Amino acid sequence: MATPPPLTILHVDMDAFYASVEIRDNPSLQGLPVCVGGPAASRGVIAAASYEARRFGVHSALATAVARRMCPDLVLLPPDFDKYTAVSRQVMAIFRRYTPTVEPLSLDEAFLDVSGSERLFGDAEQIGRRIKDDILRETSLVASVGVAPTKFLAKLASDLDKPDGFRVIRHGEERSVLDPLPVSKIFGVGPRSAKRLQAMGVRTIGDLASRPRRVVARQFGASAIWIHDLAHGIDPRRVTPRREEKSHGMERTFAEDISDQEELRGLLMSFSEEVAFYLRDKGLRGKTVTLKARFSDFKTVTRTKTLAHATNLGPRIYSVASELLNRIDDRPLRLLGVQISRLEDVRQPVQTTLFNGAMAEPSSRRDYLASAEKLAKVTPSLDKLRRKFGRGVVVPAAILDKSLPRGRDGTGATGEASRADGREPGLDGEFPGGPGGLPVED
Amino acid sequence: MKATCDRDALREGLAIICGVIPTKSPKPILSNVCLVATDDLVELVGTDQEVSVRFKLDKVDVAEPGPVVIPARTAFDFVRDLSGETVTISTDDSRCTITSGEDSCELVVADPDEFPVVPRFDDQGSVSVQGGSFSRLVGRTAFAAAREPGRYAMHGVLTELDNDQLRLVATDGRRLSMASIPVEMAGAEKTSAIIPTKGMQLFCRVIPDPLDQIRLSLKEGQVGLRSKNAEIFARLIDGDFPQYSAVIPAECGNAIEADAEQFTRKLRLVSNVSGDETRAVRFRVKGEKLELFGHSADRGEATAHMEVAFKGEEAEIAFNADYVLDGLKNGAPERVILEFGQKTSPGKFTLGENHIYIVMPITLDA
Repeated sequence: MATPPPLTILHVDMDAFYASVEIRDNPSLQGLPVCVGGPAASRGVIAAASYEARRFGVHSALATAVARRMCPDLVLLPPDFDKYTAVSRQVMAIFRRYTPTVEPLSLDEAFLDVSGSERLFGDAEQIGRRIKDDILRETSLVASVGVAPTKFLAKLASDLDKPDGFRVIRHGEERSVLDPLPVSKIFGVGPRSAKRLQAMGVRTIGDLASRPRRVVARQFGASAIWIHDLAHGIDPRRVTPRREEKSHGMERTFAEDISDQEELRGLLMSFSEEVAFYLRDKGLRGKTVTLKARFSDFKTVTRTKTLAHATNLGPRIYSVASELLNRIDDRPLRLLGVQISRLEDVRQPVQTTLFNGAMAEPSSRRDYLASAEKLAKVTPSLDKLRRKFGRGVVVPAAILDKSLPRGRDGTGATGEASRADGREPGLDGEFPGGPGGLPVED
Repeated sequence: MKATCDRDALREGLAIICGVIPTKSPKPILSNVCLVATDDLVELVGTDQEVSVRFKLDKVDVAEPGPVVIPARTAFDFVRDLSGETVTISTDDSRCTITSGEDSCELVVADPDEFPVVPRFDDQGSVSVQGGSFSRLVGRTAFAAAREPGRYAMHGVLTELDNDQLRLVATDGRRLSMASIPVEMAGAEKTSAIIPTKGMQLFCRVIPDPLDQIRLSLKEGQVGLRSKNAEIFARLIDGDFPQYSAVIPAECGNAIEADAEQFTRKLRLVSNVSGDETRAVRFRVKGEKLELFGHSADRGEATAHMEVAFKGEEAEIAFNADYVLDGLKNGAPERVILEFGQKTSPGKFTLGENHIYIVMPITLDA
């Protein structure tokens, strides 16, 4: 092997983020088993659990009803994503003081590559300490920090001494750190792979590393190379500050199935508005709208339409989503979602059209497009208001004063956001729902 | 029937029929060609019920008049590959035999009574145009018609007869081409109709001699064209063509005039490097110098310069190079004039006498 990779990668992970923010803002909760999540009555799940709650076995993605059984004194709080997003911005801003190479994974964790910052701020370990201190001083929240030559090791390091952890894994220490750990610590080895590995007599990372690659490959095919490399601490992935998103969407599983068309359309409208706001915030627009619906029997269908011109306007997305809703069976729905894909930068060149674009669409749309043009003009001002006073400050009249049905995670009007960016799933933080979590604010 | 005709003429006629008949249709009869032999003439008839053709073969020797209906594509393929100079077509009750020299084939026939009725051209109310000017007029405009689905009225060429002018307009919503020629209306009514692009292109194929006069008629939801050896009918598109006159700018502020050939060459040069998605090329003009600039994130960038005559302030605008090149190719002008105002307002290309081509710009930093 050539020169060993330098020790420049940091993984910073906020401890029990949502719960910690709530405790910080309400000190009377200090020391109590606090959870953020949806109520048990509406099939809610835990989004985050304080370390006190974790002692009872409560963890994120657990059904609230089960959590209550484990810990009858559980303090359950509804999530306030606007607040978490604001704190997240603060934390991400701290990271960026030390390096521009910040790759947020979710609201509460990020990879940083500090190569090139050493002469300004000291080596990676010193920078890690400074970041941890800055976060505590400025947000009163605790972060765990891992410092290592690779992403995989850095992430592992931040987890090793959690909470309030600070761990450095240097080149040469990989084996002693990795060997005793269970294989499930390898990113990409889920419970099923772990079981198959166990059947091969592999329990620890050390076991896996000692197996010849071709033996592992026989069992796991192509992914064997990946997990075998990781078992050896080899991880060539770089910290990429801007991951290119391929889609953005929002969906919601309802506490009770919904069959009322008007109610469903109201939901679509608020999802569309939210997704559109996100796109505008990121300087993106999208061309393909996908509607996802799950019936009470769990059968899931999607309907897709591609627009002639990319958009990031809520009403435009809604009008397509609503059209797509007409194309699915009129049966009670358990889940509804809107996704927009084929994203592009708003600075992309745009082919302008004759006849105000009216002829590009069926003629019944002309009025709509005329209003869309107006909407495009006023939207930046509305967004300013939304950033200053909260998203709810300007909403379409149709969904004004309509409280949305609670979802399983207990989120109010926000729903669950998802993003697909072609990366491997699983690195995300505490937010339940698999790959995704809330949009990362940066 | 029994008739002998020139192989090349028959092949040409069948090729035109095959361009009209549907490739797939719930009505199998439409995949046939109907051949009708009369005294000294064989007429080939084909239709997809939107567009219909009658194509006349002269220099034929009719031994026995009568109709026959045979599979058009098979007949065309067979005749195309024959090597003899003449072809004899003869029928009995259930078979049609095509013979040339020592080669022959027998085709199944369909009942001529089942074949749809195709109208005959009626000179009444039609106008006379020189074939060559008409073809050229279609060539200058039809290329700009919409091809993507969902823009029904733009899938045709607006044809206006007014004030002794025949004007054609075609647009796909991003560019628009308009050209006109003088005609003698001689009592024909003022008309405005949308002719399907397929029909327009077919018209040009049946004008063998540019000096011949053709007749054009627009009435009863149908357009008819008669040339020396063919009659074509097409159902007009029933839709609202956009208000094109409103988008043709009168005053633009900036005007470039350049040699068309050089302009085309420079534009193509730069467009080789611009991206696949938008094909944007930026035009920047200062003094008497036009700079063309194209770039794409994954390929690189290119710049070209040329001398132009310029009236206006220093200005810039970007267009899809393919649109501009389309206009230059189909308009084939010697000089090109480009007038434009702001970056977001339409560019007006004058591509010869009575030929205007409007192209909407690409905004590079919206």
